[in-house]
Amino acid sequence: MVGFTTTIPLEILVAAGRQPVDLNNIFITDPDPQGLIEEAEIAGFPRNICGWIKGLYSVALRRDIREIIAVTEGDCSNTQALMEVLTLNGVATIPFAYPYDRAPETLAHEIGKLADRFGVSIEQCETARLQLAGVRRKVHEIDRLCWEENRVTGGESHYYQVCTSDMNGCVASFETEVDCFLAEARQREPLKQSLRLAYIGVPPIMTGLYEEFEALGARVVFNETQRQFSMPFAVDSLVEQYRRYTYPYDIFTRLDDIEQELARRQVDGVIHYVQSFCFRQIEDLIVRKRLKVPILTLEGDRPGRLDARTRIRIEGFVEMIKARKP
Amino acid sequence: MTGLGIDLGSRQTKFAACDDDRLLWLKTFDTIPFYKQYGSMQDGKLVLDFAAMGILSAEELAATSLVVTGYGRNTLDLAGGRVIPEIQAHVAGAKFQTGLGTFTLLDMGGQDSKVVRVEDGILVDFAMNDKCAASSGRYLENMAKVLDISIEEMSRHYRNPVPLDATCGIFGESELIGKIIEGHSLETLCAGVNKTLIKRVAPMLRRFPQDIIVLTGGVAKSPAFFELLREATGADIRIPEQPQHNGAIGCARVAGA
Repeated sequence: MVGFTTTIPLEILVAAGRQPVDLNNIFITDPDPQGLIEEAEIAGFPRNICGWIKGLYSVALRRDIREIIAVTEGDCSNTQALMEVLTLNGVATIPFAYPYDRAPETLAHEIGKLADRFGVSIEQCETARLQLAGVRRKVHEIDRLCWEENRVTGGESHYYQVCTSDMNGCVASFETEVDCFLAEARQREPLKQSLRLAYIGVPPIMTGLYEEFEALGARVVFNETQRQFSMPFAVDSLVEQYRRYTYPYDIFTRLDDIEQELARRQVDGVIHYVQSFCFRQIEDLIVRKRLKVPILTLEGDRPGRLDARTRIRIEGFVEMIKARKP
Repeated sequence: MTGLGIDLGSRQTKFAACDDDRLLWLKTFDTIPFYKQYGSMQDGKLVLDFAAMGILSAEELAATSLVVTGYGRNTLDLAGGRVIPEIQAHVAGAKFQTGLGTFTLLDMGGQDSKVVRVEDGILVDFAMNDKCAASSGRYLENMAKVLDISIEEMSRHYRNPVPLDATCGIFGESELIGKIIEGHSLETLCAGVNKTLIKRVAPMLRRFPQDIIVLTGGVAKSPAFFELLREATGADIRIPEQPQHNGAIGCARVAGA
């Protein structure tokens, strides 16, 4: 098993025949994610540090993951300290950096280093990319069924897209799961919610968000970063694929993608999720200046069911866009 | 009576009764004693003992439509009542009480601070405090207690505020005690506390136009807050006749509509 702290070029691990584990996914689906946060705080992680970092730390130790790729640039600088604490605990950590300027030669160098570390060639990785492209295309179809045919819920599209970061640890069985889901979803009657929402920002730490919107007559038809995890752009090389992938780079590149999808998917309102204590909270002010649709900024701190205060905001927002819609 | 509105707040439960465009009466209960005395859960719904409250008879209740909002509403489903979002209730109340169609509403309640923008009668955007309630009425109450004065006395002073910088409303208490020891006058300490509220709410307020600010919630009763807000924003600030009952009045209006 090789853990990682955010999406990395998965092709390298697949080519090397290693089992990929996105630590975020196993943290948030753990039966007791709150307990994992508490464990990290007992170990000394400050209260005012992102919940994901603390969850990643505890879940890596509890599941005894001995080798971890830490994305030190393009995600969050807290990862550097996380990597150091894990090193202290005897975990082998491998740094990986997305260059902020998206320079192809720098990214190619980073990918090359990582491929070397796992003893595979770029050609082998390209073969793995073609294999993964088949599964990713099926997940893109789930996304399309969500926004274009209205047969898939926002929560379902979130789940399948988020899983593409590590293919749930096994490409073949994830593909079977996707196939079953697609066969069933294609037969469904279109969903009735009349308001169309976009979810932008990192995936939510809390649960029950998508269901809450749907109960109020609104549905998420665009999950921004989750869709990015599924590598939505048709490209012809590994380096180009991870250059087009917007999440690790600047907010303006992300906003270009967001604006295009908001128009294509006819979105009525945007949910901007920010994690407490995350640098991306600052970017909310840029998002608000740039996007011309109503925006609700939701802040999440710890895992658990949606709290009453967040629900108050969501209700107010849905009422507001209902009133504005002609 | 055409409509009865209830605002289940964190500190107080407010009632308002309307007969079409006429406000009939208002009533206030402290939240915790209110639930203890008059509330009970039956089949997962909150049932209120209106007879024991002595505010309206069973016949009146049966003939009136009831609309509820507030903090308790998400966890408690009030039997016989229609629940509306808080923002909607406050906008309806502010429109009714001021007769305005375009304004920025600043509601400073027991725990919540909300800023809502209404244009041509339509709610266009809003912001609420999150994760921290250090910009709330409860903070003012705590600080008055630390200074051993009434909330009314606290609310009189706004000149020469002592700078107070603690992020946390509880650590703010020890910061204030430190300032007392340094020998600052009670007036400047009070002004400092009042100014802190402005500093905390200003970033949220700054996102919205500051032409007319309708100020509601318990904090609206503070003359010092009013003065400091005017200084900070330069806006035309309107305080409706019943700032604390604005949400309940909005509910009563929605119920009667």
